[in-house]
Amino acid sequence: MTTKREPEAALSVLPKSDGSARYSYAGYTVTASVNGPIEAQRRDEHAYEAHVDVIVRPAAGVGGTRERHLETILQASLIQLILVKNFPRSLIQIVLQVEASPENDYVNTKLMQASLNSAVIPALLQTAVLALLSAAIPMRATATSAIVAVMTQDGASRLVAHPSPREIEAAQSVHVLAFTSQDGLLLAESEGDFTVKEWDDVYDTAKKICCKSGATKGEGIEMVLDEQEDSGPDMRQFLRSALETKVAADLHWK
Amino acid sequence: MAQPALTFPRPVFAKLSPHPFLLRCLNPSDETETPSRTNGRTPREARPLQIHTSSLSHAHGSAVVRTGDTTVICGIRAEVLPVAQIPQYRPRAAFEEETEASRKAEIKNYDLVVPNIELATGCAPQFLPGVPPTALAQTLSSRVYSLLVGSGMVQVEDLRIWKGGEKEEGGMDVDVDEEEEKELVGYWVLYVDLLFVSFDGNPFDAAWTAVVATLKDTKVPVARWDDDRETVVCSGEAKQLGVKGLPVACSAAVFLEKEYGEPGEGRHWILLDPDRLEETLCREVVTMVVDCSSGETRIRAMEKQGGTVISRELMRGFVGVAEQRWKEVSKAMQ
Repeated sequence: MTTKREPEAALSVLPKSDGSARYSYAGYTVTASVNGPIEAQRRDEHAYEAHVDVIVRPAAGVGGTRERHLETILQASLIQLILVKNFPRSLIQIVLQVEASPENDYVNTKLMQASLNSAVIPALLQTAVLALLSAAIPMRATATSAIVAVMTQDGASRLVAHPSPREIEAAQSVHVLAFTSQDGLLLAESEGDFTVKEWDDVYDTAKKICCKSGATKGEGIEMVLDEQEDSGPDMRQFLRSALETKVAADLHWK
Repeated sequence: MAQPALTFPRPVFAKLSPHPFLLRCLNPSDETETPSRTNGRTPREARPLQIHTSSLSHAHGSAVVRTGDTTVICGIRAEVLPVAQIPQYRPRAAFEEETEASRKAEIKNYDLVVPNIELATGCAPQFLPGVPPTALAQTLSSRVYSLLVGSGMVQVEDLRIWKGGEKEEGGMDVDVDEEEEKELVGYWVLYVDLLFVSFDGNPFDAAWTAVVATLKDTKVPVARWDDDRETVVCSGEAKQLGVKGLPVACSAAVFLEKEYGEPGEGRHWILLDPDRLEETLCREVVTMVVDCSSGETRIRAMEKQGGTVISRELMRGFVGVAEQRWKEVSKAMQ
């Protein structure tokens, strides 16, 4: 039931918000809206920088501890990307609604789960970045994210990029990494049992997915196509092309 | 003309401008002074750890953990959950092989471990007593839950209650007739409650240490199914809960030289076991949970967020720091 298809994105899908984006990949569909800079509530106001408010809404039910955890992770990462010092005493609000998540056919999915759902982080972060770009919020960098699972089978371990829920359940360890467009490690969340060596391999794989376009930019599509099979799509190139398509469509009248 | 010097005593300076104060402490202008943090520690020095166990009489296991001014009380209470009361309960079929993943899924699906963290006790000025759980409290309890289930410390075998007494270890040798008699009738659910008595930064390390110390102290009553009364009864004796491994959390925060500068410029310091003042001044945090009890260093969880200073190389170096912390904590546990 793995859905290994290309990521899809649409920008400015919501008419009333300052910026919005819908992104779907690996079974997840997330819609984000960004409003900002807007007036902050008195208790959130900061004298020197904007307050970034991230709200995650699950596909079903109301948010619980797990969503608060996701919000904390995303907020810490997005503050690094947004030029928050340009907007003192204001608020930038990002609302992320999970629309669809891949189902695990083998177990009854519970509505309320306390443990961290790390598989959704790449989709949430990617959508947030697209929505921020769509809202034209000044940023110092964009970010791309990937999830890699280390599977152990018959003593040999292999890396699976963007694993399915079933694979995550059986995996030895699961890692979410995010890189800025300057190749800095923005976020690393790992669960499971692993060694430094395994993490190093995971880092290489994730970096390849997140930051590939730096090496292949301008060398044609062929090179990208060659590597596509083993490590999934090139996230940075995808982000770029999604925006290029949007800009081209907007400037169509010229 | 000499400039009139404006001098403050230390506490006033710290209160008025905390960032320059910490920077001045870490990077003293006077060569003779040794650089240290505002709390007198060196950047790579954690606070000493004190652990007391079995102090609560009504819990099945308890521990009080104190690091500096962060104090946590943890209590574990086990309660019986009959399988009839589990929604969507699915008994394991005979052909299904039991794996590490399926055991973890069993704990997760039936909610056999329920941690809860209470910060609203007046433990620090930023947490008002008697309010709904803050985002920090919810994040912490989600992190503790993920690690508790993900690390496989608690084994589902210890939580099962069988009809016809305790199931023998290594069910392979038991012949088929006996196997049929032994029917799973319920589970022990562990309610792990953490209460912050005082909060001075680094809540996760303290909370996790308290959870581990409490699990090692927990004794679950021996329970069996009573056919006549058709209920689970407990005998007076209690059995030590099996705990696998000893994962130890080690957190650090990254302090940047420029408070409002661009990331990546200026110097930075990695402060191990940050206190409350340091936490408010640092954006980037890293937590590593390591387990060296098997001789080899295994990483059980890793979290890094809020910045780009900690690169792959620094992360590798941090494993060494975490190993050092593991030795300290495992010593304090004994």
